Amino acid sequence: MATWQDDSFEAFSEQSISLIDASDRWCGAFDLDLDDSTLIGFYEDLLRMRLLDERLNTLLRTGKTSFLAPCSGHEAAQTGIGRAMRRHHDWLFPYYRDQGLAVLLSSADEVLAQFQASCSDRNKARQMPGHPGSDQAHIFTVASSIAAQIPPAVGAAMAKQIQRSDEVVVTTFGDGATSEGDWHTAMNLAAVRKAPIVFACENNGYAISVRLAAQTATATIAEKARAYGMPGYRVDGMDVLACHYVMKQVIERARRGEGPALVDMAVYRYGPHSSSDDDSVYREADEVAAWKKRDPIDRFYRFLAARELIDEGADKALRDRIKGELAAASERAGAAGTAPVEWLFDDVLAELPWHLVDQRELLLGEVGGS
Amino acid sequence: MPSEPITLIKAIMHTLDQEMARNPNVIVLGEDVGRRGGVFLGTQGLLERYGPERVIDMPLAEGAIVGAAVGMASQGLRPVAEIQFADYVYPGFDQITTQMAKLRYRSGGQFSAPVTLRMPTGGGVGGGQHHSQSPEALFVHTAGLQTVMPSTPTDAVGLLRSAMRGADPVIFLEPKRLYRSVKEVVPAEFDFTVPIGKAMVRRIGADVTLISYGACMLEVARAADEMARAGVSAEVIDLRSLLPWDRDTVFESITKTGRAVIVAEAPGKASVASEIAASIAESCLDRLRAPPMRVTGFDTPYPYAQDKLYLPSVTRILNAAKYAIDY
Repeated sequence: MATWQDDSFEAFSEQSISLIDASDRWCGAFDLDLDDSTLIGFYEDLLRMRLLDERLNTLLRTGKTSFLAPCSGHEAAQTGIGRAMRRHHDWLFPYYRDQGLAVLLSSADEVLAQFQASCSDRNKARQMPGHPGSDQAHIFTVASSIAAQIPPAVGAAMAKQIQRSDEVVVTTFGDGATSEGDWHTAMNLAAVRKAPIVFACENNGYAISVRLAAQTATATIAEKARAYGMPGYRVDGMDVLACHYVMKQVIERARRGEGPALVDMAVYRYGPHSSSDDDSVYREADEVAAWKKRDPIDRFYRFLAARELIDEGADKALRDRIKGELAAASERAGAAGTAPVEWLFDDVLAELPWHLVDQRELLLGEVGGS
Repeated sequence: MPSEPITLIKAIMHTLDQEMARNPNVIVLGEDVGRRGGVFLGTQGLLERYGPERVIDMPLAEGAIVGAAVGMASQGLRPVAEIQFADYVYPGFDQITTQMAKLRYRSGGQFSAPVTLRMPTGGGVGGGQHHSQSPEALFVHTAGLQTVMPSTPTDAVGLLRSAMRGADPVIFLEPKRLYRSVKEVVPAEFDFTVPIGKAMVRRIGADVTLISYGACMLEVARAADEMARAGVSAEVIDLRSLLPWDRDTVFESITKTGRAVIVAEAPGKASVASEIAASIAESCLDRLRAPPMRVTGFDTPYPYAQDKLYLPSVTRILNAAKYAIDY
């Protein structure tokens, strides 16, 4: 077999790209070149994302967070993206379902602090749960507005060109975002400027309740890339190795100065759009069950088990360790305390103008300083 | 800077040039800013001097222009983005309100977006509905932005420098009616700036305070001249910064005159003029001898054939001042 090359995958392929076949075996046209500990590391990342959702649901039930857009079903895509990036080097411009990816690139402490509006949140508890950001981990703080992160992501990539930096920008979004004007203008701009950016679509087939067929008349998201003058790839988003290798190819291509790419990863959202949504109104339980049969974690477990890299005992030990780590991170976020009153006014501008100084004084007079 | 008198648009062009020479992080981007040098020639010559990597002819999409500027600024560059006419900013408005204005706050100060967003604004040039609007109230109402509008070449230099060297985004509104109407020698010192948030008393007076900004400063000056001929002494304040605005200078003047007429061509409802009037009423009631008066554009879409009827005229300013004095 061949070794992995920079151009192992062809753009606009008829078939969606998979590297794990229906019997959970490697089916790539090149040799798997990840060592055993890296493969176990992938599995650990997948599990951590799933268990993070579980922890967040517990926090919801106990009133320690107020909102969740669950990422279960997106783990292979998010692990594949994160593992293809150079951590703390490349930049992520994420959307609001990327808490798993954010943990991979930053830490459970950072992400849980944000979910719990803790005093230890680097973003100063300014946003609803699920909107992390970290200058240290090179994660641009999430804004809820769909596709609003994408033009700034291209601007950041243009900055990397100007600065002669080898940092690459990855921006993520759902299928619904591809209808927004910002998505189109950003795709166009990135291609015109040959900017070092990858557009990664976590395509779960739903924008809340609206199916992809009502979102776009094209058969795939990937083929939209053609019109902008960049390659597009359609990937099995429940196959962590396919997501990883395709992302690696396009990220390294962008790093070499060969321009942007679009990666369309077919994932599925197991839960509702968010903790405020009832998905039973718009989709059948059968459909969810069918997708769960292709669960990215189960598949990868069987893939690893066939290589004798994991067994039930090791799996359980791994899950217990991650659960303990997440619980401890959540504990620390809670112990750090809540946001002080002054934070309401800080950071509107670097220096507070008089009207905000007046308003802060008024509020402190009402509620007392912290 | 040239030693001879220059226009407001030339003052902008020279300041951009100087700042680009001084700071390699300054990037100019927008529609037609490169080969064309800007449709008003605000960026003339910059492409030749600094090359296509720093002077970027952008695809025709305001959302991409503003958004890309935000992304660049988040990575340490100092972008100056041009919107060809303020009337065309609306497709970029989400990027202004969601990203540019909110990034520092949303990220807890981890990221910021010190973008200078230039746009020609205002009417009186035969531009009709979509080349004449004055949308400053929309920006002033958006937390996280600073909004300025110079009315002289000197202030254009000083405010543009403050914007380009400051820590936060600035909406830099350029009164296009004044682009070539006034010439003056601008300060040559490289560190001359006009601080954001400081007004300028253009004329000292005792009977009434005329408060304005941008192109209306022309009509306000003529109204003050006419009043002087009639024996009325008007104090004239050029706000220059719309948010933060200079409360101290305005209130000090009202303490002296007891009368305020606020003049702006933007529609009056929920406007900058309204905010100033309300603040004067709230804080200076005991010193007021008449209600604060607003003379503004009408609350209609900007007209074409009746352009001159729409804009605050010298007569309307005089009438409002007379009302306040006779009150």
